[in-house]
Amino acid sequence: MASLLKKFKVRDFISIVANRQKRFARADDSAPSGTDAARELARALHPKKQYLKVAEVTERAPDVKSFTLVPDPERGTSSLAYFGAGKYLTVFAEIGGMPVTRAYSISSAPKASLDGRYELTVKLVDGGLVSRYILDNWQVGTPVEVSAPAGNFEYQPLRDAATVIGLAGGSGITPFLSMAQAIRDGDEDFELILLYGSRDKANILFADELAQIEKDCDKFKVVHVLSDPAAEAEEGCEKGFITAELIKKYAPADKPYSVFLCGPQQMYEFVDKELEKLDLERKYIRHEMFGEFHNPASQPDYPGGVPETVKITVTQAGVTRTIEGSPNDSVLQILEKNGIAAPARCRSGECGFCHSLLISGEIYSPPRMEYRRMADKQYGFIHPCCSFPLTDLEIDVPEAK
Amino acid sequence: MKNNYDVIVIGAGNGGLAAAAYCAKAGLKTLLLEKHNLPGGSASSFVRGRFEFEPSLHELSGSGTPEDPSASAKLFNDLGAKVDFCSHSETYRLIVPAAEDDPEGFIGENGVRVKVDAAMPSGFEKFSRKLDSLVPGSYESSMKVFRLSSLMYESFGELGKGKINPVKFLSKYGDVLKMASHTLKECLDELGMPEKAQGIFTAYWCYMGAPPRRFDFLYYMAMMHGYIERGVSMPRLRSHEMSCAVEKAIRDFGGEIRYNSEVTRVLMQNGKPCGVEVNGKTKLFADYFICNTHPNFALADFFSPEEVPADAKRKANGRPVAATLITVYLGMNRTKEQLGIHDYSLFIAPSDDSDEQFRSVQNKINTDYVIINCLNEVIPDCSPEGTSMLFLTGITYGDVMKGVKPEDYKKYKTQVADGMITRCEKALGISIKPYIEEIEIALPPTFSRYLNTPFGSPYGYQLDMWDSMLPRTIQFGKDQPFDNFLFCGASQERGDGYGSAYFSGEKAAGKIIKKIREGK
Repeated sequence: MASLLKKFKVRDFISIVANRQKRFARADDSAPSGTDAARELARALHPKKQYLKVAEVTERAPDVKSFTLVPDPERGTSSLAYFGAGKYLTVFAEIGGMPVTRAYSISSAPKASLDGRYELTVKLVDGGLVSRYILDNWQVGTPVEVSAPAGNFEYQPLRDAATVIGLAGGSGITPFLSMAQAIRDGDEDFELILLYGSRDKANILFADELAQIEKDCDKFKVVHVLSDPAAEAEEGCEKGFITAELIKKYAPADKPYSVFLCGPQQMYEFVDKELEKLDLERKYIRHEMFGEFHNPASQPDYPGGVPETVKITVTQAGVTRTIEGSPNDSVLQILEKNGIAAPARCRSGECGFCHSLLISGEIYSPPRMEYRRMADKQYGFIHPCCSFPLTDLEIDVPEAK
Repeated sequence: MKNNYDVIVIGAGNGGLAAAAYCAKAGLKTLLLEKHNLPGGSASSFVRGRFEFEPSLHELSGSGTPEDPSASAKLFNDLGAKVDFCSHSETYRLIVPAAEDDPEGFIGENGVRVKVDAAMPSGFEKFSRKLDSLVPGSYESSMKVFRLSSLMYESFGELGKGKINPVKFLSKYGDVLKMASHTLKECLDELGMPEKAQGIFTAYWCYMGAPPRRFDFLYYMAMMHGYIERGVSMPRLRSHEMSCAVEKAIRDFGGEIRYNSEVTRVLMQNGKPCGVEVNGKTKLFADYFICNTHPNFALADFFSPEEVPADAKRKANGRPVAATLITVYLGMNRTKEQLGIHDYSLFIAPSDDSDEQFRSVQNKINTDYVIINCLNEVIPDCSPEGTSMLFLTGITYGDVMKGVKPEDYKKYKTQVADGMITRCEKALGISIKPYIEEIEIALPPTFSRYLNTPFGSPYGYQLDMWDSMLPRTIQFGKDQPFDNFLFCGASQERGDGYGSAYFSGEKAAGKIIKKIREGK
């Protein structure tokens, strides 16, 4: 074919290569910069770990305490990562040789993190290993290791309605307390109407704090909903449970609203049915994570013929060993009970940190906890935090960093 | 002492995955280390609510045909990996909104005043005919462009065969070298393409990681040829499917992969890398290394300054970083038809001049320049019934996050996303905001966190004329910091894009396999 680029010369190409050499010869030969503003911001918001210590312990109710955590510069943390109200921290602990993790919503204001303070509020869970340990052992000065703030239970103005009906149950109040403070401080801009379910008045957490924010800020309102039939009728309190009727009573009638839920698993099951009656668009309903899943055998789609114990052959960073456990425990729990630390954060199937390879064997993954990617399912990847062994397994688990 | 591995690959991005797969396939004892817990780097996915989002892939520019596979298709063929691809025959649509008083403005297909509204089909003939209908007199020049790019691919085939006769090669493929030594603009002018048609033809520059007046014609056509010839293809289960497929091939060939395993140091012996330190504790040794970490950060993070050869430092300092992206992922509770979106790939540009477009994104985030992708156009059931997924992309150059404090970042992100969404709504005369069910906003810090590159750029270095594909190819060996430590990824000869990264991994692996077989 005749040249289509007649005006140009082939030899021009030779000078390009020579030119490249010249350009490099003129370049700076000092060490390349390992940083820029994007990297600094990413590191500030998502530190690999935060080394803290307990600065203050506050009794909130029987078996409920708040812990003020501050940076521990001696172990390398000099400031706290800022966070959006609603985020959680994963606490890393070792209890009797068992490496464990638990996610707790931050109950303090985002602004407080700039002054070097996070607050976590821990309520004793029935038979709860980690909550028991924290309540018994954390005192002023205790060193604590936590993750960067994480989670998706946050207000997003482009997605959520201008008014949010918050539905809190028990210690599920914590992210809402942070949100209310963020609204008061001008860090978030939405109207929060909080329906807060407690058994009785004595079990309300942060009653004074919530009342004070309500006074200081006209975009926040709290309504206590007391479930104990014997509870005294109080002014401004509702009795019973959080029902569709109750939500309707407080929700704006003339404009869209979002519903945010955070509370115990039984509350989700009850309230989800109530929400169906309201016929809200799905985008207007947001749940905080479900939490650790227990008792898989109670699920209708759980198969039969599962052995009483299973063997799991685990490879981690090239080292392989075989452990035993109960099919009632998640793969993650079995690992932990055998002293193996896995990279677990949310323990609800959502965050994907524990993403591991199932080489052989079968697991049960409860539909409610199924957040795996489509290709993960096709290629045999599992989230051990909500995978329950049905047979002996062979797995490859990443190191817990 | 015997080394643990023949090859350690640092980073499981597209380049690292391909490198590890070819090394393992060749029977080398291969270890792939990845600091995150997933393979793929950019090639991944994430779940929010009932949506699984594609984080980065806009299109594989044609996955090719069995006789003529593209770089990505070749990888999957070579590895025997199966990926389910969906295809689409449109390329892109360019819309340049016009001001009310703009004399060139007219009412476009969406009923909104525009300067340009060009929806381009695939196929050289169809594309050229469409261009001619928009800008009469452009057909001939457009067909010449594709004749040249066909010649270019033919020459690549010849070069791939190994021994060539330079005289014969030059007499046949002289135009190919000319393409490499002149800019896109110079060549389109020489081919007589009208200015307005050039504006449409060069709109794809935004994926090139360099400004249009400064990159060569050959580079542009290497990217465009397959795309215009065959249209778009996308993996059915997001790009995570591709990464899983390669990942599995590595393991099936006997390679080892460790996640959550961050290289914190490269260990040196006699002035050469001999091992790596992982997560600040474990030491692993190998004869060869392939590094998928961006060279600037690899040299800064893994070595002490005196260990790095001056030439490698100059090559890191002397090359401007390519484009950085801003991405807004939207899970919509309406179908694309309900929203009024009918194109897979829509460029909404602030100007009909590509160079002006480039200037408008220098060192700032400009929400007037947005690319919209709607995956449901290519994969109708990629999201649940009654929903759709949109993916808005903005481009920027430079360290644009300067001055943004951590406590202001969330508001800043929302403001940028709001600007981009509003721009799309206005340019298309449609409504998006009321139907957002899920949203995720990725700014340079997001990409910095996941990809670990300067400014969060996924595109490597700018492929400026002086540092373009062919000069990089010719000087490949000289560009590596040590003879047993080779880079792969977007920083390498073909620049950004999945196919380019896969190619870079295959090339680095090939060099090492050859050295080992020759006993060097």
